[in-house]
Amino acid sequence: MRYAPAILLGRVARTLARWRKPGGGSAVPGLVVNTIAPGFLPRTLNSFPGGLVIVTGSAGKSTTTKMLVAALRAHGVSVFTNQSTANISQGLTSALLEEVSLTGRIAGDIAVLEMDEGHGALISPTLTPRVVVLTNVMVDQIDRFHDSDMVAAMLAKIAARATGSVVLNADDLYLSRLAEGIAPGVTIARYGVTEDVLAQNPRGLGYTLTSPARLDAADGMVLTQVSGRDATVLVDGRVHEVGLPARGTHYAVDALTALAAARSTLLDRFDAAVAVTAISAIPPVFGRGEVVSVRGTTVEFVLVQNPASMQLNVDSLDPTTEQILVAVGSDVRDPSYLWPADTSSLGRVLIASGSKAQDIALQLAYDGVVVERIEPDLGRALDDFLALPEPSTGVKTIIFSADSMRRTRAHLGLATNESDPS
Amino acid sequence: MTPAQLTIVSVLPRLLDTNGDAANARVLAQRARWAGLEATVVAVNTVADLPESADLVVLGSGTDTDLVAARDALRPLQSALRRWLDDDVPVLAVGTGWELLSAGIDVTGDSSVEGLGLVSGRARPLAARIADDLVVDAEAGRLLGFENHARGYAGSPVALGTVRSGTGNGDGTEGTVEGSFIGTHLHGPVLARNPQLADRMLATACAARGLTLVPSAMTASVDDIARAARNVVAVRLSLTSE
Ligand SMILES: [Zn+2]
Repeated sequence: MRYAPAILLGRVARTLARWRKPGGGSAVPGLVVNTIAPGFLPRTLNSFPGGLVIVTGSAGKSTTTKMLVAALRAHGVSVFTNQSTANISQGLTSALLEEVSLTGRIAGDIAVLEMDEGHGALISPTLTPRVVVLTNVMVDQIDRFHDSDMVAAMLAKIAARATGSVVLNADDLYLSRLAEGIAPGVTIARYGVTEDVLAQNPRGLGYTLTSPARLDAADGMVLTQVSGRDATVLVDGRVHEVGLPARGTHYAVDALTALAAARSTLLDRFDAAVAVTAISAIPPVFGRGEVVSVRGTTVEFVLVQNPASMQLNVDSLDPTTEQILVAVGSDVRDPSYLWPADTSSLGRVLIASGSKAQDIALQLAYDGVVVERIEPDLGRALDDFLALPEPSTGVKTIIFSADSMRRTRAHLGLATNESDPS
Repeated sequence: MTPAQLTIVSVLPRLLDTNGDAANARVLAQRARWAGLEATVVAVNTVADLPESADLVVLGSGTDTDLVAARDALRPLQSALRRWLDDDVPVLAVGTGWELLSAGIDVTGDSSVEGLGLVSGRARPLAARIADDLVVDAEAGRLLGFENHARGYAGSPVALGTVRSGTGNGDGTEGTVEGSFIGTHLHGPVLARNPQLADRMLATACAARGLTLVPSAMTASVDDIARAARNVVAVRLSLTSE
């Protein structure tokens, strides 16, 4: 009953916050509880009977977490999970308050948490995760983290807390190096792609540093093939076909990561076929290669969050795509941000839009892409683009930054099946 | 007769491309091609990559973690860089690429990194890191871009221009011009957003080869996009549009 007063107070704060701002104020109760009972969060997270699983890294965290949770639930495990929020400590505490009993217990065998590398490194010293899952090291959010060394150091700090195993991407050289510092007794579970899969991505997989050699199938789980939304993985000598939520090698790697993480979490209970079926059933993700029907036409949405994802998405676009709209908004504060990506394979873009329409058009022009029209007014651009006659090849494709995605969704009155990407 | 071939050197694109500044080499090459010339971009990471001759040279900006590594990687290229500068080959260096060619970089109050000493002046810490729009009144007209740096610059013989909005060198001036060398904090594809600067470099390179730079309709239409991009920022900063 040690935290009962704090939990009660947190609930009062939650009620007040909702009363002030319906549907909002989710961090306030967390702030209240963390202030009066700083031990509540770590103690609750460390108390799950089946342990805590942390998923972290530069990119792919949310998809991997979602897949891992689906795989665990398919094995009959009850899972507590929470989407990463801007302030993880307060957001998590608030989420825990929703489900915690006054004795501080939460129904659930296992907690699976997606953690931003920065906040994860801050709160990890108080946590004892059984499994830490590391996706990759990419340079994103340059203003915040500044460089890959810093990101790798934050991930190493989180990984050092693992008591059972560290699941890591063998193709990422930063993560491979990090394995050397893992305490003896902690298992290292590796996953990676084959030489063939890597060769399909001439520009690499977006990692800051790629390991010189590929993982031997005897040493971990291997992604052997990717074609559109289908992938094959090799698990303990057996080939499995996996359906992906969207096209692209990065989604296949996310599925592979989730499989490796599920095995490290479930140990002897892990059944690869059960996990693969659950992962393949995950619905397409909004704004990440999702195909939607809107105003009587079919549109594919492609979200770019950083130069690496811009490159991967441009490269994985069907080359016959005839009608493309590119929209970049105010979330890309510095217009040079996307320039490391080579957009030349787009060939022709019908409309460049968003508040950074001229800047993205300039980049496209220097990459030799023909830009037919620059229309900074995104609403007008969308209306005109959707009203165009059906393309003779491919589907209408909209490539956008996060801000333009939100505006597009609002303008078209589309709901979403996930919260905004971090 | 085959068209003249311009060689554009991109120095250490692996270490010095944090903000996409290595794109400046791509920008020069495209503008040369649009003017009917042939151009190749040569990435120089080691001495073995050095081409026989260079017409234009570009250095980008890197991270502070790689500061010493980048300096050490530049050292073997020092004599090539000196020869280009002596021969009046246009060189554009952005951010740390510029700082590393100076006398040195004062990282904090008491630690510093020795530079190659190829250009006058040195980098000095600013009170705080700056990440914002930077507008400069320069001889070649108004230059507009983005700055993201923690250090200013002292001891430049001639600045590139006067700061209209932003921080630049930290003393009201921005950048440096020394012979054929241009150093600036305007990072990313500064030459795409400010084509007058690109053409000044290209015209110098062409003159050295007895060529004339003739902008095409393509150049003009892309420069219209650049002007529109600059005007969006100018309007936001309450400056006059071009
Ligand atoms: Zn991140």
